[in-house]
Amino acid sequence: MSLLSARASLLAGMGEIKVARKEGVLGCIGLGSCVGTLLYDPQTHTAGLAHVMLPEPHDNDWSLMPGKYATTAVPTLLREIGVNTSQASRLRALLIGGGELFQNRSQTLKIGERNVETLQQLMRDYRITLIFEDVRGSSGRSFEFDLSTGVVRVRKVGQPPTEHALAYALGLMRPAV
Amino acid sequence: MMTTEMSALRADALREIGNIGLGGAVTALSDLTGVLFQLEVPRVHEMDTTHLPNLCDSPECLVVGTISRVEGDWPGEAAFLFPWESAEVLWEMLVQMKPAGLEEVNELYQSVINEVSNIMLGNYLIAISQMTGFKLDMEPPAFAADMAMAVVSSIMTEALYGQRELIAIETRFQVPERSFQGFFFYLPETGSLDRLFSALGI
Repeated sequence: MSLLSARASLLAGMGEIKVARKEGVLGCIGLGSCVGTLLYDPQTHTAGLAHVMLPEPHDNDWSLMPGKYATTAVPTLLREIGVNTSQASRLRALLIGGGELFQNRSQTLKIGERNVETLQQLMRDYRITLIFEDVRGSSGRSFEFDLSTGVVRVRKVGQPPTEHALAYALGLMRPAV
Repeated sequence: MMTTEMSALRADALREIGNIGLGGAVTALSDLTGVLFQLEVPRVHEMDTTHLPNLCDSPECLVVGTISRVEGDWPGEAAFLFPWESAEVLWEMLVQMKPAGLEEVNELYQSVINEVSNIMLGNYLIAISQMTGFKLDMEPPAFAADMAMAVVSSIMTEALYGQRELIAIETRFQVPERSFQGFFFYLPETGSLDRLFSALGI
């Protein structure tokens, strides 16, 4: 066991996908209307994180950056963590972000809301269990997810960070014998 | 990966548009505050997810800003961004007080930033109309105060929606002796650029 607790996080920038196995920290900095979409496979202890910007691609340009769009990020995450569609129901999902930072817009595209709705629908379509959501509202968010402990830490401006222990929901903890 | 060919001439034209447009806008801000603002030469660049503007020290530092949709012959999104310390300078100049923190940013403080954006963007659009004959309308500015990265990425996704790439005309204006700096971005719909260039005879 490493004594270096402050390991470097694997941060997914806009549109990027990052994958970690068994240990490591995955996260996103400064999510506004974007949504950090993390899928975890309890069987292989593998997690994939996409920094989703928009609900769907508007043409066929998505192949360069599939993590940018909800509808292309989720199937790409499955492939990256080595799970096929029929196995997807064993996955656990975390969604963080999707805020509307600009208040009182007269014409708004509601991208944060539409990102969240699209991703929630995709989770239902793939039968993936959503175990943690910190979405919508008017705040930007940063988060880190520690794969070895199952703890997710969410930061918002002007608020103390919140920590959520998800080990049990992730299937990281074996039930006591 | 730039799919729109942007010749040097066209980039120059966009810089010039930014310069003239924001020149009027900064003069309006100087009239309002009695302070002289220095304008930098605008930068015209493709805004992609890996090259974000450097507004302040860290992606999580606090910024204050507005976004306004521009409609008409050259549609796009216009945004003003101020690092927190610069927003404090504006508040002190215009209402002689400032909030102690984010939680104190009430309607008065928001309206100051909205009004500054309104006046500057209005003058920017008038200058562009005079140059091009374009009819341009703006929606009232919408306000945000949050992490720099969250605000910038929200502006980008709004402007990126429905298009493949993003061209940004970025202009910095400052008051060195008061360590004030503001950033203006115009993110035109890329499909409308040709119309602009033909209006300018390029």
